[in-house]
Amino acid sequence: MTLENNFIHHSKEYIFLDNETLSNHRENTYKKIFQKNYDRKNNESLKNITISDVSKFNYFYKPTKTNPTVSLIDDLNYKIKLVDGICKNYEDEYIEIRNITNLDFKIFLNQVNNNLDDIIIDFNKIFLNSGIFFNIKSDTKLKIRLVHDTSENFTVFQNNFINFNKNCEVQLEDHFNLTNNSINNINYNIHVDEKAVVKHNIFQNFRNSNKLYLTSNSVCEKKSSYHQNTYNFSEGFVRNFHHAHLNGEYSNASLKGCFFLKNKNICSNKTNIIHNAVNCVSDQTYKGILNAHSKASYYSNTFVSENAQKTEGYQLSKGILLTDNCSFFSKPELRIFADDVKCSHGSTIGPVDESALYYLRSRGMSKNEAMKMIISSFIEEDLLNLDKNIAKEISNNLSDYLKSLSND
Amino acid sequence: MIFLNINNLNVSIEGKKILNDFNITINEGEVHAIMGPNGCGKSTLANVLAGNEDYEVNSGKVIFKDEDLLDLNIEERAQKGLFLAFQYPVEIPGVNITPFLQASINSKLKNEKKPELDNLSFAKLLRKKAEELGINTDMLKRSINTGFSGGEKKRYEILQMSVLNPELTIFDETDSGLDVDALKIVTEGINRFKNPKNSFLIITHYQKLLDYIHPDHVHVMRNGKIVKSGDISLASEVEVSGYQNF
Repeated sequence: MTLENNFIHHSKEYIFLDNETLSNHRENTYKKIFQKNYDRKNNESLKNITISDVSKFNYFYKPTKTNPTVSLIDDLNYKIKLVDGICKNYEDEYIEIRNITNLDFKIFLNQVNNNLDDIIIDFNKIFLNSGIFFNIKSDTKLKIRLVHDTSENFTVFQNNFINFNKNCEVQLEDHFNLTNNSINNINYNIHVDEKAVVKHNIFQNFRNSNKLYLTSNSVCEKKSSYHQNTYNFSEGFVRNFHHAHLNGEYSNASLKGCFFLKNKNICSNKTNIIHNAVNCVSDQTYKGILNAHSKASYYSNTFVSENAQKTEGYQLSKGILLTDNCSFFSKPELRIFADDVKCSHGSTIGPVDESALYYLRSRGMSKNEAMKMIISSFIEEDLLNLDKNIAKEISNNLSDYLKSLSND
Repeated sequence: MIFLNINNLNVSIEGKKILNDFNITINEGEVHAIMGPNGCGKSTLANVLAGNEDYEVNSGKVIFKDEDLLDLNIEERAQKGLFLAFQYPVEIPGVNITPFLQASINSKLKNEKKPELDNLSFAKLLRKKAEELGINTDMLKRSINTGFSGGEKKRYEILQMSVLNPELTIFDETDSGLDVDALKIVTEGINRFKNPKNSFLIITHYQKLLDYIHPDHVHVMRNGKIVKSGDISLASEVEVSGYQNF
């Protein structure tokens, strides 16, 4: 179905219809896409996608058998299941989670990504059909496992707001459990309040008929930390665009990711960290293994504003290309307007180190075994600081990926 | 049984001929040393024997334990009992020494149709060998050669040899980059490993290493072939007069 048909025939199913400002905004954004009014050459959101491709889809959103849940695995360890973007409204002394309603239009208007020139965010605004408001209360120490279930053929356009309040310490896991032929355009607005520490691990492992466009915008206040790790083992298309704003002094953020591609998989990645305060530290690191005809891109961007002195900002991308037919495009960028900063960027992309392969084989290991050992070592250091269960889950996914390489 | 026989071996790399009708025979339990100036083909010989695919074997035969070595790939040669101690051991960050060596020895045992070593048995074996060589067991928790000093890298090569128990070990300029103390430690490790079943091919520039190891045969190599063979006194001759006279 065309963009026009989707917009006209399903317009009554979206959120915030009764707000005039948002309705106008939605109409204008629709016109912008319809007229293809984008700088197609330089717009990073159009890497690996075309406007016509993302515009053609069958909008379908009829959440009938909704059974979202909130449960406690053990003390201060929650499992929250979202079904087709809908959560169970719940509140206790540590957390509050509820579906967004038309009354939330103000936070929607004020979200940080409103000025981004991002076609996927524009789609999210036009077709918005779900979202959650999630509040983690002050001084709590929690583990939260957030499972996103999407039904077959569903198109989920979701906008989520998460507040990590003062002094909380949270390990948040996102798992995407997508069935078939679903489109998931999910946008996170994350606010990390003073002295809050957040470890956000995102697992993406689903079949190739699904598409996931995941965008996040996090804002860090004074002395807070936000550490995001994304692990993409999916067969379907994945876009990870993540932005962090260091607004409070002595705050720090890391946006890291690993992706493991095979067949004709495509994945598009971008990280962007904006330093707006003094004495902040940031780290952007993406690593990927690419096999067969797979394709990936990674844009990293560090922006240091004039008053963000004593900034430390690091960027790194690493890629291993297992065949001559796969490709990895990487573009690091630093824009620095302060004079007392330490910033660096680096990128290494190439085949498996032949001398390492020769060394391992010369001790009796088969080429396949040696290759797997080198690939595993690629993310080994990233697993060291992770929670044991998470590290085990990643190791299992990696092991499946390595098995699939032998079958290619 | 023919242990190692290299017959008229000709090898080139990127069209440039390096080994030129090279011949040598090594019997079980023998220690041979090859000395020669830079660029004479010593390291090429070591790499060709180990199966490095960068080199092109133009002609000749290499028989190892009655089998045509050139028909085997890199890992098959190692599994058959050949070990190359590298001149520049490769750093592989993230690959831990212990699982790597366990996988290596188990590949060999599997090939020999012997039961593989479980984690506990292997850990015991590795610890024992490390202690024999005076290697701190903390080193075994590290990534292969990563952040090792020159001496540590060479000692770690000896540890690998000791664990994998090869029948033929080729030392490719193991003495390069070692100070006197490190050289002594490394050669002690080699001497401890020597027995009537194991053979060694030692490639070196200098007599110093041979003073500690005492080879049965010394060969001088120039322009891709052996030009003179003899006993340890040949090494002394090289030390005094250099390679110009050969």
